[in-house]
Amino acid sequence: MVTADELRKPPQRYYDDVTVGQQMPPLVLGPMTTTHVFRWSAAMENWHRIHYDQSFAVYHDGLPTVLIQGSWKQSIMPRYLKDLCLPDGWPWKVSFQHRAMIVPGDTITCWATVTGQHETDGLGLVDLDVGMRLQNDVETCPGTATIVLPIRGGRPVPYPFVPPKGL
Amino acid sequence: MAERKSALTDEIRGLIGVTAERVEANLWGIEREDLRRFTQAIMDPDPRYWDEAFARTTRFGGIVTPPIYCTYLSRKTPPGADDPITRAFLENPNSDGIGGVERSESRGALPPIPTDLKRIMNAGNEIELYKYPTLGDRIFSQAKIADIKERVGKDGSPMLIITIETVYTDQNGQVLCILRASSLRR
Repeated sequence: MVTADELRKPPQRYYDDVTVGQQMPPLVLGPMTTTHVFRWSAAMENWHRIHYDQSFAVYHDGLPTVLIQGSWKQSIMPRYLKDLCLPDGWPWKVSFQHRAMIVPGDTITCWATVTGQHETDGLGLVDLDVGMRLQNDVETCPGTATIVLPIRGGRPVPYPFVPPKGL
Repeated sequence: MAERKSALTDEIRGLIGVTAERVEANLWGIEREDLRRFTQAIMDPDPRYWDEAFARTTRFGGIVTPPIYCTYLSRKTPPGADDPITRAFLENPNSDGIGGVERSESRGALPPIPTDLKRIMNAGNEIELYKYPTLGDRIFSQAKIADIKERVGKDGSPMLIITIETVYTDQNGQVLCILRASSLRR
C-alpha cells in the first residue's frame, strides 16, 4: 500500500530515466476480503448478488464464492498508472482484458514493464505492458498502456492533456 | 449438414454507430462525500482527492477525482425514483439484484441488442484520459455502439463482441475521458 504522505510529494519519474525492459514499482492491494467487495458494491450501488451473497453466487451462478467486481478492477489500473505519473506526468491511455476471477483471499499486484518509449511533439511517451497478478502468479488483467512523463528541460506535459499531433 | 446461422444479423449490424442522447450523469455534480466513499473503496489515499489546501498547490489547482470516477456516476438511482431493488424482487423473488434495476436506467441508454445470446461477460476496456473533474463539476455522458463483431467459440457456438464507447465531458464540453467497454455475448 502507498500512503497519503508518500503521495504528497512523490519523486517525479522522468522520461529520460526510463529504459525499455524496466519494471515500474508495483502496487500491492489486499488480501481482499468480502468486506472490501461489499464496500465497492455499496459505493457503486451495484446490487448484483454475486458480489455479496455467497449462497446466491455458489448455488445460483455456480461460482466458487463471491467475486471481486470487474468495475473495481477497471478503476484500479488507471489509479496505479496515475501514481506512476505523479506529480506532473499523465496516464494517457490503457487497455486491458478481464481474464481470471479475483475472489476474497486474493492479493493483487499491479505491475508495469516498459516496452517502448518515443519522444513525440516534445512529449515523452512511454509504452507499458501492464497487468494485475495474483499471489499464485495468475494474470487477471493483461493489457497495455501509454503514459506521458516529463522530459528534463522539455515542455510541461499539458493539463488538460492534449495528445501529440498525429496520435 | 445445415449451415450455421450467423449471430451478426443485418439488424444487429445496423446498430453499429448508433449514438444515444447526451445526458447529465448525476444530479448534483462532483461531491466531496461521494468522492470519499469512492476513493476509500479503491484504496487510494491520495490527498489530491480530499486535502483542499494541498490540492491547490498541485498542477490541478484543487481537489480532483480519481481517473475514471466520472464513469460510475450514472449508475446511481436518483432520489424519488421507484425503488429498483424492491421492484426487482417483487417481479422475481430470486432476482440476481440487477435485472429490474437496469431497466430503470433509460436516460441516455442505447437500444438493446436483439439477440438470443443472453449471457454477458466483460471482455475488456480501453480508457483514454484527458482531465480530472473537480468539485462541483457537472458530468455528461454520451454512449455509442462503436463496434459489433462475431466470433465462434471453441465449441462452435456463436458469440458477439460488442464495444460501447462512452465519452464523458464536463459542463464546458471539455472531454474528461473516453471509455470503450467490450462485452461478450454467448
